[in-house]
Amino acid sequence: MGFSNEEILRYSRHLIMPEVALAGQQKLSAARVLCVGAGGLGSPVALYLAAAGVGTLGIVDFDVVDLTNLQRQIIHTTADVGRRKVESAAEKIAAVNPHVTLQTFPVSLSRENALEIIGKFDVVVDGTDNFATRYLVNDACVLSKTPFVYASVFRFEGQASVFAHDGGPCYRCLYPEPPPPGMVPSCAEGGVLGVLPGLLGVIQATEAIKLILGAGISLAGRLLLVDALGMHFREFTIKRNEHCPVCGTTPSVTELIDYQQFCGIRGEESYTGPAVPEITPEELKQLLDAGDDIVVLDVREPHERDICRLESHLIPVDDLPARVHELDSARELVAYCKSGARSAHAVAFLQSVGFRRVRNLRGGLDAWAERIDPAMPRY
Amino acid sequence: MIRIELPAHLRTLARVAGDVSVEVDGEVTVRSVLNALERRYPMLQGTIRNHVSQERRPFIRFFACGKDLSLTSQDIRLPDAVIDGSEPFLVVGAIAGG
Repeated sequence: MGFSNEEILRYSRHLIMPEVALAGQQKLSAARVLCVGAGGLGSPVALYLAAAGVGTLGIVDFDVVDLTNLQRQIIHTTADVGRRKVESAAEKIAAVNPHVTLQTFPVSLSRENALEIIGKFDVVVDGTDNFATRYLVNDACVLSKTPFVYASVFRFEGQASVFAHDGGPCYRCLYPEPPPPGMVPSCAEGGVLGVLPGLLGVIQATEAIKLILGAGISLAGRLLLVDALGMHFREFTIKRNEHCPVCGTTPSVTELIDYQQFCGIRGEESYTGPAVPEITPEELKQLLDAGDDIVVLDVREPHERDICRLESHLIPVDDLPARVHELDSARELVAYCKSGARSAHAVAFLQSVGFRRVRNLRGGLDAWAERIDPAMPRY
Repeated sequence: MIRIELPAHLRTLARVAGDVSVEVDGEVTVRSVLNALERRYPMLQGTIRNHVSQERRPFIRFFACGKDLSLTSQDIRLPDAVIDGSEPFLVVGAIAGG
């Protein structure tokens, strides 16, 4: 494979390193890497792999660019809001390096298409944002013997490793089962420091390049934990589990399964308990305007209340059992949170301790802002 | 004092900001450390270990001093550096953000 003079100049800082050199750059040029997700992790991964001269980049993402993405998803810009992420990313990648061949997949990775898509690539970089797709990527990579570079982030913390490579462990060896729905918040619920996926994504890009070059010591068999708040980078040895259901000696998962069912179906926030009485934003507005005697209870955290609020009493849902005495069960009560999920838990709890005149604001402040007060900030 | 680092969502649940420290009477093992942790923060019961079996939950790992202690018995003595408080005992949970 010959490089043009322009390419030789472009990659000169690689070519003068003996660990890469012309042979390594040719490996990069021949390599096919799939980025699953063009979000916080996928942004730096795709940009750096393109800049490094990876010959074929695939990007899978069904989503469109949202304003809340721009705090961390640096491949997208303000002008891209509303566009398909794969289109926005493809444009930036082409601008960084026109020699990259791009394959975009504006779809959700699923059990129906995962093996076919992953089969076109040598290395997969997992930048997804949910457990179901993470287990899908893992199983598809193990079954197709494709190494994949893992990272995940939450708030100030990140994890990275290389799975399904060189006899090392897979994601299921580390975490055989996902947490129950609702137990571990997503970034949409709990937040993430904007630069954190940058840190972890660059680590993923580094590992992908090392896999292609066959250079250095990969993170396979090691879990890297990043704590951005303390700026600690710690690594721990992790081993393949011989009883692993997908990569163990007698695997029980030999084909892709229903990952939504495996991980539990959930939205950004979820409430899966018994139905609780609800009130719509319109009904609440009517009662408030009429001056009815209603206690409105905010069950969010105090820092959320700083963003937006209704005239209300604040008791975070986790504090409710200890502070329930602050509420008068004889009065009518409406509980709210951001989306209506936490307040549903709160209403269920209040009912369990004897409150009869208690309702949940359906859709929470999201619905209130959408239908009653468009000036209310949304988050 | 044994220093314990919890994943972010469990820190939120326990309403703590950083590391937590617990005193352990007798042999310092994974089990005795977690027992002390759950005594001090009862809301963590069932989040790290199964309520009934007391086995580690499958989306949680234990690490200390560069080693994965998840698959060893909960009754193995923890490393000296954890016992003297110079190294933390890490409870690490699966996260999915990307």
